[in-house]
Amino acid sequence: MIVVLGSRHDSVAVNLVGRWPSAALCSAEDLTRPGWAWAVSASGGRGSWVVDGSVVPDEEVTGVFVRRGTVHAEELTSTHPDDRAYLAAEAHAFLVHVLASTRAVVANPVDDGGALGEAALRPEHWMAAAEAAGIAVAPLRVRSTGGDRPPEAAIEVELVGADVLGAAPPTFMDAARTVGGWLGLQWAVLTFDDVGRLSAITTTPAPTPDAAARLGELLSSARAA
Amino acid sequence: MILVWGSPADPPVAAVLDALDDLSADVELLDDATVPALAYDLVVGPRPSGWLELGDRQVDLDEITAVYLRPGEQPRSGTPTSAALLAVLGSLPATVVNRPAAGRSNLAKPFQLAALAAAGLAIPDTLVTTDPGAARDFLARHRRIVYKSISGVRSVVASINAGDPAGVERLDRLGHGPVQLQQWIDGTDVRVHVVGDRWFATSITAEATDYRYASDGTAPPELAPCDLPDDLGRRLVDVSHGMGLLVSGVDLRRTADESWCCFEINPSPGFTYYEGHTGQPIAGAIAALLTGPVIGAAAPRTARTWWSDDAAPPVPRTGVP
Repeated sequence: MIVVLGSRHDSVAVNLVGRWPSAALCSAEDLTRPGWAWAVSASGGRGSWVVDGSVVPDEEVTGVFVRRGTVHAEELTSTHPDDRAYLAAEAHAFLVHVLASTRAVVANPVDDGGALGEAALRPEHWMAAAEAAGIAVAPLRVRSTGGDRPPEAAIEVELVGADVLGAAPPTFMDAARTVGGWLGLQWAVLTFDDVGRLSAITTTPAPTPDAAARLGELLSSARAA
Repeated sequence: MILVWGSPADPPVAAVLDALDDLSADVELLDDATVPALAYDLVVGPRPSGWLELGDRQVDLDEITAVYLRPGEQPRSGTPTSAALLAVLGSLPATVVNRPAAGRSNLAKPFQLAALAAAGLAIPDTLVTTDPGAARDFLARHRRIVYKSISGVRSVVASINAGDPAGVERLDRLGHGPVQLQQWIDGTDVRVHVVGDRWFATSITAEATDYRYASDGTAPPELAPCDLPDDLGRRLVDVSHGMGLLVSGVDLRRTADESWCCFEINPSPGFTYYEGHTGQPIAGAIAALLTGPVIGAAAPRTARTWWSDDAAPPVPRTGVP
């Protein structure tokens, strides 16, 4: 089973569930339903999920696609309004633990600070990794009078596992693969500016049809031992 | 120049400012209250550059040799500035206490706890669950357990005994959200403040399950400096540094057989509570760290789970040269 972590109001998440065989949506509401149980240990946990209302042992989950950076209080409609903010923080923290513990392939895994989704792709984070990997990065200027417009994207490529999709010279493909490896990314869109510097990494867009097909294969392949 | 960001009314910030003043250090305060109206022009990147205006002084990032970060929550108007500042200050080639990314694991306690176990520290048996049956089984196994928050939101730690029907019944009401349950560890609480390569251990004797909230008819907790085995102290320094933390507050419990159980590492400890009771010179040690040799940024943190199919649990990175 592929678990898509997202919202019913996110058309990208819903479309991916429809596209991939044996995929199901794990919503914020699922995080507040009975059936989750995860131990804490240095060797990873064995646990159970709640996906689309049903309890699923971790052994049955082959891959997880993360379409959220946090759990929002407004999503917890079955919870008393006074408790939603607290419960959202708790559910988010729990989700971090589950994603770090599951033996399934996760796109993308939490970083080792515990950030997930787009929150794990803060510029200061990926820029440092790219620099360490020897890849030129476009600086990002921020001012109290307003930020600069981001540079126009000259080249955009899509990373899926070890594959890079898109029309780009091999140097860009290699750079995307390298920085993706540094950051442990299974899927992302990488943008280079007109002088060849890496200017953005994001997981916000919908995967292209070709990338979605490859992601489906990646996430339904054999689990980690 | 040393930049201190926080509220001067916050005791740890005030204590660090006082200690830096004692050392006649060149210090600028970035007061929380001024953040929404702050003027700045910064470049985010591997080598941050630019300036920010503190009072009537325009401070170039190149001037900053050390940073003490303890910002409070910002109003909505200050959020973009706060985010930009944290990104830039957290990446400076300076001594930063502490870089924001290093402390984020504390916002997901079970995640941090697994990291502590991977680093070789003993942790309590812990279950995070929404399942009443699993919770009952966990209580039956340990006979006494505590429940506590999973996130960084503070909650009072409370305990449940297997022989207490009301407590057991409380577990049946699980199922509306995840709860963190831990086996009860009998012993004495010890808070260890790691500051650079030094550590300060404080024992806390209290009647209450959670000594931080001991005012409900129980005697106030008694705090006293205590010894820590050298190998444990060095390990806590290594673990803190491995997480990228130059200063931390480690919560431990010492059992009757002299074993040690670790509960969490706080990346922004309110150390003045302990300093006030014991006289341990924690603020002075932090000031010495900030005025000492520059400790640069850790290697970039790559994303991964703490355990993977092809690797043993990792040894924490040594982020501090």
